[in-house]
Amino acid sequence: MRKGAGETLRALTVHGITHVVGLPDSISAPLFDSVERHPAIRLVTVTREGEAFAVATGLWIGGASPLVVVQNTGLLESGDALRGTVLRIGAPIPILVTGRGYTRMRAAGVDPAQAPTPELLIRMDVDSAAVLTERTLDAWGLAYRTCESEDDPTEALLDALEGARELAQPVVLVMARELA
Amino acid sequence: MLTMAQLLAPLHEHRTSEVVVTTMSAARTWGRLSSHPLDLASVDSAMGHGADLALGIALARPDRKVICLNGDGSMLMTLGTLATVVGAVAANYVLVICDNGVFETTGHQAVAGVGWVDHAALAEAAGFRSVHRFEDARAWAEAVPDVLRTPGPTLVHAVLRPGQERAIGRGGAEDPPYLQVSLAESARAVRAALLAGHA
Repeated sequence: MRKGAGETLRALTVHGITHVVGLPDSISAPLFDSVERHPAIRLVTVTREGEAFAVATGLWIGGASPLVVVQNTGLLESGDALRGTVLRIGAPIPILVTGRGYTRMRAAGVDPAQAPTPELLIRMDVDSAAVLTERTLDAWGLAYRTCESEDDPTEALLDALEGARELAQPVVLVMARELA
Repeated sequence: MLTMAQLLAPLHEHRTSEVVVTTMSAARTWGRLSSHPLDLASVDSAMGHGADLALGIALARPDRKVICLNGDGSMLMTLGTLATVVGAVAANYVLVICDNGVFETTGHQAVAGVGWVDHAALAEAAGFRSVHRFEDARAWAEAVPDVLRTPGPTLVHAVLRPGQERAIGRGGAEDPPYLQVSLAESARAVRAALLAGHA
């Protein structure tokens, strides 16, 4: 088990996470690999990210404590599913969003809070998934924080898990760096 | 072909402690038959996400069956859920496709692929353990106890005659009790009933 995934798993265990629901990408793949072998936390792999929010909401209704893990592209795909399940029901589900394109966006000098323009969205050196992630979270009224390269990813995840519990509402952690 | 009433009445008769999640045109008819604490209408929610919401409840509560009454149009929106159900090995999950071939509540516009798409065949190909197709009311009524007893995941493809249900919502205009409260309130009531171990 890679060090980062092991620390993340321990954080999930401490917070009583029962299920990890989502789709892997290159950042979250070590976590998925670890959860698949975990004796207590169950992995539910979906076919499309929107499903993850509905499945997680059902898990919460059933009394479980799920964590959703999707890439930011999948978050954008999930608009109505997220709105109509997690947000509409007000399920306090933590959501880990891995940030495709954040490194390139930083290198290009683009701020995630910057308003997207047609010119920005077609630039080859900028991934539009990263450009739209935080603006979309703002529009959907989701509480979030971003884990930057200088932040500790496990500490950031712990904060998100605690935040969802304390606020009794969904909280998003945007992972703009590797987990390890 | 069955009517919605012919589909739901025997299910209501044999339902005991199962969670029942309804969508679209089944929601109002079921809500007039049943006022069980474990009824949840996926109404005023996410388009096409009733089946996966119900799957989540089933995975959280492997001790009891979860029945989802889904529309054919709703199912087509999230066909991938068939694979997710099988991958999750949800033996306590029963998915009933209410296949009337139309978007009934918006005025009977045809669903994509109507006459071609075979939901039972899709479920078999996806790997559902128990798959049934019913067009006859008596055959369905006789089969319900076995359908509920057999380990799943189970899919029931019910071929229905389109009804006359109008657009569905929540609030005072709806008579079923579970549609008179918000989705959030209804979901919390079901969660509380499950946590309390309601039989």
